[in-house]
Amino acid sequence: METLKNAFDFSDFPRMDLVIAGAVALVFLVFPLFPTSSYAMATMIQFFMFALYGMGWNTIGGYGGQVDLGKAQYVGIGAYTTGVLLIRWDIPFWVSMPVGMAIAVIWSFIIGYPLFRLKGHYFAIATIATSLVLKDLFTVWSFVGAARGLEISPITYPPPDYLRLIFREDIYYYYTILGFFFLGFIYMNWFRSSRLGFQLRCIKDSEDMARSLGINVHWAKIKAYAIATAFVSMVGSFHVCYIKVIEPVDIMSLDLSILIALMAMLGGAGSLWGPIIGAGVLIPLRSYLKEWLGAAAGLVGIDLILYALIIMIVSAFEPRGIWGIVEKVRRRKRR
Amino acid sequence: MDILFGSLAAGILLGMVIALVALGLTIIFGVMDIVNFAHGEFLMVGMYTGLLTAQATGMDPLLTLPVAGVVGFLLGVICYAGFIKFLIRGPMVAQLLGTFGLMLFLRNLALLIFGSSDRTVHHGILVGKSFEIGMGIILPATKLAAAGLSVIAFLAVWLLMNRTKIGKALTATALNAQAARYMGIPTEKMNALAWGIGGASVTVAGALIVNFWAVNPFMGLLFTMIAFAVVALGGFGSVPGAFFAGLAVGLIMEIPGFWDFFTYTFDWMWMADVPMTSLKYMWIYVAYFVIMVVRPRGLFGWKH
Amino acid sequence: MAFLEVQNLTKTYDGLRANADISFSLERQALIGLIGPNGAGKTTLFNCICGHHPVTSGRIVFDGEDVTALKAHAMARRGIGRTFQVYAATGDLTVLEKVMVGCFMHTHSRSKARACAEEILRDLGLFDLSDDLVSELPVAAQKRVVMATALGTKPKLLLLDEVAAGLNTLEIEEIMASIRHVNQDRGVTVILIEHVMELVMKVSERVIVLDYGAKIAEGSPESIAKDPKVIKAYLGERYVKEH
Repeated sequence: METLKNAFDFSDFPRMDLVIAGAVALVFLVFPLFPTSSYAMATMIQFFMFALYGMGWNTIGGYGGQVDLGKAQYVGIGAYTTGVLLIRWDIPFWVSMPVGMAIAVIWSFIIGYPLFRLKGHYFAIATIATSLVLKDLFTVWSFVGAARGLEISPITYPPPDYLRLIFREDIYYYYTILGFFFLGFIYMNWFRSSRLGFQLRCIKDSEDMARSLGINVHWAKIKAYAIATAFVSMVGSFHVCYIKVIEPVDIMSLDLSILIALMAMLGGAGSLWGPIIGAGVLIPLRSYLKEWLGAAAGLVGIDLILYALIIMIVSAFEPRGIWGIVEKVRRRKRR
Repeated sequence: MDILFGSLAAGILLGMVIALVALGLTIIFGVMDIVNFAHGEFLMVGMYTGLLTAQATGMDPLLTLPVAGVVGFLLGVICYAGFIKFLIRGPMVAQLLGTFGLMLFLRNLALLIFGSSDRTVHHGILVGKSFEIGMGIILPATKLAAAGLSVIAFLAVWLLMNRTKIGKALTATALNAQAARYMGIPTEKMNALAWGIGGASVTVAGALIVNFWAVNPFMGLLFTMIAFAVVALGGFGSVPGAFFAGLAVGLIMEIPGFWDFFTYTFDWMWMADVPMTSLKYMWIYVAYFVIMVVRPRGLFGWKH
Repeated sequence: MAFLEVQNLTKTYDGLRANADISFSLERQALIGLIGPNGAGKTTLFNCICGHHPVTSGRIVFDGEDVTALKAHAMARRGIGRTFQVYAATGDLTVLEKVMVGCFMHTHSRSKARACAEEILRDLGLFDLSDDLVSELPVAAQKRVVMATALGTKPKLLLLDEVAAGLNTLEIEEIMASIRHVNQDRGVTVILIEHVMELVMKVSERVIVLDYGAKIAEGSPESIAKDPKVIKAYLGERYVKEH
C-alpha cells in the first residue's frame, strides 16, 4: 500500500511544475481527437516511445551515473521475441511482451555481472561491444530472419487486433503507447524515491561512502541495469507491432543506443522530467528538420549534421541538460 | 597448411597497420584520459585525403602520406582547441556523448561531401601487385608497404616520446598533469599536441589503408571499435602495447581463415556452415569485453 | 571478551608496509583516539577494519565474530560505520536524503527511513538543514551531516576519520559535544583519527599512536602526551633530546 502511495507522491515538486505537467498530460489525452496530420500523430507516437526509452535509460545512466551505450540490444530482444512469437506461433502481444522482457532481463543479468566490474569509459565501450556482438549474431541467425529481419503483414492478422496489437489506424497505437507512457512515468516517480533509487544516487555521489552504508554497489547497479532493460525491451515489443518491419542493423544499432542515451542527457539525466523533455525536443526536431530541409537534404544527412552539432554543443556547454538549466536558474533565484 | 600460413601472414600484415590506427587513440588517451569516439572518423578523413590528393595531383598514393599527416595534425588540434577543451570540463556522460556527436558530425559531413559509395585507389606503383613466397603466403605489395611504413611510424613516435624533450613533456603530462604544470610544462599545449600527433598518425594510417580497403562515410565505427580493442589489449596509453596488440587483433580478424584451416584439416564439415566471415568483427568486440573484465590493464598498461 | 580485537594486522601495498603488526582491543562503548604523524597508516588501518581493503595478514574480531575477510558493505551490515576524510560532495542529495540512505540499510520502507533520518537529524541538531543540499553547506555542518549519515546504519562501532579538520574552535566544541553524545547517549563505540590534538586529548579515554605503520604507544591522553616515543615521532629526535 505504501508503495502505491509513494508512486503517486509528487509532493516534493513545486506546484507550478505539477500544474504544467497536468496540463500537458491533458493535452496528450485529447490530442488524437483533434484533426491533425498523420505525420503529427506518428511523431507523437515516436515521442512517447523515445520518452520511455529515455526513462528506462535514466535508471542506470541518470540516477545510477553509469553511461550505458548498448541499450539497443535489448530493444532488439523485445522486438524479436514479440515478432518471432507472433509469426511462428501466433502468440499475442500481451503474452510475448512480458516474455521478451524476461529474456532481456535475464540476458542483462548475465552480462551485467561482469560488465559492472568496469567503470567510466571502459564500461561505456563495453556496453557498445556487447550490443554490437548481439547485432552481428542476429544478422546471421536464420531463426530470426538473419539480415533480412522480420516482417509482420497486416493481411495475416486483420486489424483491429487488440490481442496481437495490429491496427490500421495510428490512433489505437497512440493510446496504447500513451498508456505505457503513464505507467512508466508513475513507475519512475516511485523509483526515484525508492530504496534502490536512493542507493543509486548515493553510489553516483561516492561509491566508497555507499559501501560504508551497507550498500552492495555491484548488485545495485545490476538491478538498475535490469530495470532499464525491461523498459527498453517493452518498447521494442511495441515497436515491432507498430512499425511491423525490423532489421538487426536498425533496431540494434549503435545509433539507436546513442539516441536513447541522448534523450535523457539532453533533457536532464537523473531527473524525472529529463527524458520527457529530451524526447519532446529531439523527436519533433528530427521529424521536422527532415520536412523543412526537404527530403533530398535528409537523404544526404544535413539533418543529422545539425543533430550532431546540437549534441556537441549541449555536451560541451550544458552537460546537465535542459532540466539542469532550469534547476540552476531556480537555485539562483532562491538566493 | 597453406591456408594457415596464408592467414597468419595476412593477419600479421593487417595487424601492423591496425596497430598504427590504434596508436593515435592510445596517445590521446594516455595524455588526456579522454576516449575519442570519432577516432574512426579521423581515419576516414585520412583515407579520403590520401585518395583525393592522389587523384587530384596524379601522385602515387604512397607519396600522399605527408599531406594526410598534416591534415590529421590540423584536424586533431582544431578539434581540441575548438571543442574537446570545453568538453573535458564536464561529466563523463557529456564527454562520451560529445565525442560521439563529433563522430556523427564528421560522418555526415563526409556523406554530404563525398556521397555514400565506396571508393578505392586504382592507380599506383604498388596497386594490384603482390609477392608470392610460397607455402600459401601471398603478400600484396600495398599491404606490405603499409606494414613497413607503420613500423617506421611506430619507431618515429617511440623516439619522439622517449628521446625528445617534447616527448618527455608529453609523457609527464600523461603521468600527472598537475605536477607537469608545476614544472612549467604548458599542459594546454601538450593536450593540443597530443591530439595533433594522435590525429596525424591515424590519418596517415588511413592514407595507407585506402590503398587496399575501400572508403565510405560509414566505416568509421568499425575501426573505432577495432582501435578500442587494440588499445584495451595493449594497455591504454602504451605505445609498444598498441603495436603488439595490433598484431594480435590483426590475427583475430583472420579468424575466418583459421576456421577454414581447421574445417579442412579435420574434415569437420559442420564448421563450414558457420558464417564465420560475417562474424569476424564480432570476435573483436568479444575480445575487448573479455580483456577488460579479465585483465583491464592490458599487456603493458600503466593507467587504469 | 573484547568488543573489537585487532590482532597482528599487517597491510602491505606493493612492498610498502602501511600497517605493520598492529594489535589492540576495545571494550563496548569505548572512545578511542588514533593519532600519529601524516602517513603513519591511520586511514589504512580504518580501511582494513571496515573491510574497505583486504588485510595482508592478521585478524579482526568484532563482537565475537571473525570479520577479517568481509567486504565493506558486509562490514557495514555487521555494525561498523565510518566517515571519510575527503568528501567531494558532488551530488544533488539533500541532508535528509543523505541520511535516509544510511537508514535504508535496515528497512525497505521509505516512510520508516525518513522517520529514522529525521530522528537522527533532530538528535544532532541538524533538523533545520534537512532540505539543504549537502554540497552547499559550510564545512562544519557537512562534517556533522557525514556523521549523521553513518549513524543511519545504526552502527555499533563508528570510525570517525578527521572530522575536525578545518574547523574553528567553536565548531570543534560542537563536534566534540556531538561525539560525546553519540558515544554516551546512543551507546556507540567510537574510534577517531585526528590531528586536532585538543579534540582527541579531551574526548578520548585512551589514545593509540601509530608511526611508520607500527603502533608505538597506547595509553591515557596524559601519558601519551609525555611519552618520548610519541614526541619523537611528531617533533623529531632533536626535540626529545633538547627537552
